[in-house]
Amino acid sequence: MSNLGDPQWDELLKNFEKGIQIAIDRLEQRNVENIPGAKEALLNRLNNLKRFFPRNEGELFIRTIDNTIQNTFFPNTRDFSEAFEKILQNRTHEQDFIINELVSGFVTSKSKALVAGTTVPIIDRMVEAFSKSIDFQIVDHQFYAMFGDPNKPRKYVKNHLDEIVNLFGMVSREKRVEKDVRRSEEKIYTYYTFPDKILEILKRNYLKKNEETGYKYISEDFDRNVFISLFLANLAVNRDNQKIGGSYTINGICAIFSLILLLALMPAIDIKDDNPLRDNRNFNPNNMKVIPKSWMMKNILEPIFEPLIKIISYRLGGSLWLSEIIDSEVNKKIHNQIRFLIKDVNKWVLGNLCRVEIPIFIEISNIFVEITPERE
Amino acid sequence: MVRELWTDILPRYLTFISHITPILKETLTIIRELDKRELLNLEKIEEIREEEEKRNIRTVRRLTEFLAMFRSKVYSVIKEFILLNRNKYPLQENESVERYELYKKNLNEYEFHKEDMEEFESQKKTSRKKTNLKNFIIEYLSEVIDALEIMSDITNADQSNYKKSYLYLLVKLIEGKIFPRGGNLHEIYNQLIKNSAEFYECQRHILQPHTYYREDIDNSDFFVLPGMTPKVYQIINNITSLFNLDPSFGKFPERPGYEIPMIIKDDVFMPYIDSIANEEEEGLEAICERIGLRIIDGIFISPKEEFVDILIDNYFLTEKSQPDGIIRLLPKFSNETLVLYYLAFASFRRGFLSKEFVNWISMNFGFLIYNSILKWKLSEENIFYDIFRDLQTNEKILPYLMKLICFPKYLGLDRMKIRDSPQYRKEIFNFLGSQIDNLEDLMNEIVNYLKKLNDS
Repeated sequence: MSNLGDPQWDELLKNFEKGIQIAIDRLEQRNVENIPGAKEALLNRLNNLKRFFPRNEGELFIRTIDNTIQNTFFPNTRDFSEAFEKILQNRTHEQDFIINELVSGFVTSKSKALVAGTTVPIIDRMVEAFSKSIDFQIVDHQFYAMFGDPNKPRKYVKNHLDEIVNLFGMVSREKRVEKDVRRSEEKIYTYYTFPDKILEILKRNYLKKNEETGYKYISEDFDRNVFISLFLANLAVNRDNQKIGGSYTINGICAIFSLILLLALMPAIDIKDDNPLRDNRNFNPNNMKVIPKSWMMKNILEPIFEPLIKIISYRLGGSLWLSEIIDSEVNKKIHNQIRFLIKDVNKWVLGNLCRVEIPIFIEISNIFVEITPERE
Repeated sequence: MVRELWTDILPRYLTFISHITPILKETLTIIRELDKRELLNLEKIEEIREEEEKRNIRTVRRLTEFLAMFRSKVYSVIKEFILLNRNKYPLQENESVERYELYKKNLNEYEFHKEDMEEFESQKKTSRKKTNLKNFIIEYLSEVIDALEIMSDITNADQSNYKKSYLYLLVKLIEGKIFPRGGNLHEIYNQLIKNSAEFYECQRHILQPHTYYREDIDNSDFFVLPGMTPKVYQIINNITSLFNLDPSFGKFPERPGYEIPMIIKDDVFMPYIDSIANEEEEGLEAICERIGLRIIDGIFISPKEEFVDILIDNYFLTEKSQPDGIIRLLPKFSNETLVLYYLAFASFRRGFLSKEFVNWISMNFGFLIYNSILKWKLSEENIFYDIFRDLQTNEKILPYLMKLICFPKYLGLDRMKIRDSPQYRKEIFNFLGSQIDNLEDLMNEIVNYLKKLNDS
């Protein structure tokens, strides 16, 4: 998607510049860092972001959002299976934490949640149900047995099942049996499974075969994040028609992606040899970097976050998504809570903010370093 | 009145194990005695199963049904295995079952010296290659029988010498890492911190029952302690971040000359719109109590006096003298600082945990023990593995194992809160699907411990 001459895009870039400048001005007034040089490093980085990101029609934004974030969590394609496979390929132990938060994190500020309440445990049950069947399918009565509540009519479960099928982009199929085992009568079973291409991917990735014995089984890697990836892929390919979710989902996803972008762009700070952090067993210097914490202050983050979320929304879903990022107090509050999410890769260790160097962060930061001469 | 004595629960736990073990042993004998050519005849196998079915006359219908189901699963796994492999492993006349049996015998008598391990593994590999279909099945069945024997010997009826039982040793091993006991909160907290580098994800996992939606944040019974809901976890993260970012400081009520960090209560709830965190906001005092904090002057959140000592001890608070001579306690919290206090608090008050929480913790312990024994005894490619991972088998063994674990000498939880209803099935489903990688790491550690225990 080229943005040459797109006045809306230009305006978004200008707003980003303005937002960064406000954050710089506010940052200069206070210092909450406990590591010498951290504030200065952040100031330098913010100045560089202001300078380099809007250049060449926001080339850096386009590269970081399209080539990394979208590619990893929200592929830009109309093909459900392609999107799903891309998300699966990018799964790592730590990136799974992000995938988890994408489904559960943003809904906490939403009264009518899409994936909330009992749905998350239901994903766990789905994992268990499907992992027992090497065909990746379950029959409806199996589903009723698993999710049915004796105090509620079956219709309730059925509606819930339809919702889940819609959420994960699954399909239902019917199978006619001439004589069923119990009554020897004709019976139609409805079973739930995945679209054919998704089935191929699942079988390729999770159906294991013991070479020695020919025994087939579903690997333990088939977990809840496979379903969450499916949800993301379904949402990604249906981004234009808002089949799933709505304003809250769009705001939540864009806000978490903005957080990922911001985190990846934070400068790493050197810590002295006598810093107690080095002796802390929860700090792993091989895969963790200390970053400034001031950006997390509400008054600094607010002016950057809103334009950034808008930029991301425009890249992901064009004007349709952008129109959902309304400058309302409610949305500001939702955006405000995002700063405390993905704590497994944006950890606090002895009062220091530590970024776990997962592939998505490294990729984004590489793009930034490649384009900008580091003068910090 | 529900009978919940040790002497009531143990026989229930043993019932299914003691009935399925003979089925497997009978099957093993039948397979051993079968002519190799007969083994390839699937109709013959089915015939044998039907004959075996007739022989069993049980009085309890539920048990008979389960055993019929179990036997039919065992036979169908065998048939499927034969069907898959009969062309791959043709009959080898020059190799006798006896020879394989001899190998098995040697295997049992073999002394596991480190230097011999490699040689042993290569011997095992070579022997396996030579085996035929029948020997594969015999080996798999023997592994399963071994595992079941360990499970039935996990403890004893009169609990004599219970400190040497598998149940006690395994519960204590897991307990020490993720839910330790101690004389006071400080001791428990330090023990948790010690293991947090390796098992923090497990520690956090057992704090978060997946049936959290049934929990009351602020229970009318003050003593009842619920698990940590996702929203409470998020609020804890907010509090941790706010303390680390820019806290206020106020007088330490109990210690003149000291200032403690404080954050404004409303800042924690600011991001929540509508009535989304009303329950948590109203129950804030109870939540704070569980994470070692308190509310001062109705607007500030600050650490409790007893928590301050724990925080200082673990470098989460550091002292800094002010020009006016007042010592300020600067917060340097980690992700686990408040979460582990919640867990330590739950461990200390383990007799008062909510129903969901008790079920969740004991299920985690039960699963770790059950799965570790299977992992220890069964080879990865064992064709019967799935039967033991099947919910229908799990639900016959796990609920009683969970209750045994809850007895005072072991985990010391309220076993009366373990559910005795078909709802189990659903809870277990929740649990199975929510496995995390770190639990797998803990399981590997348990397996290694069992191996060492067996060797010594």
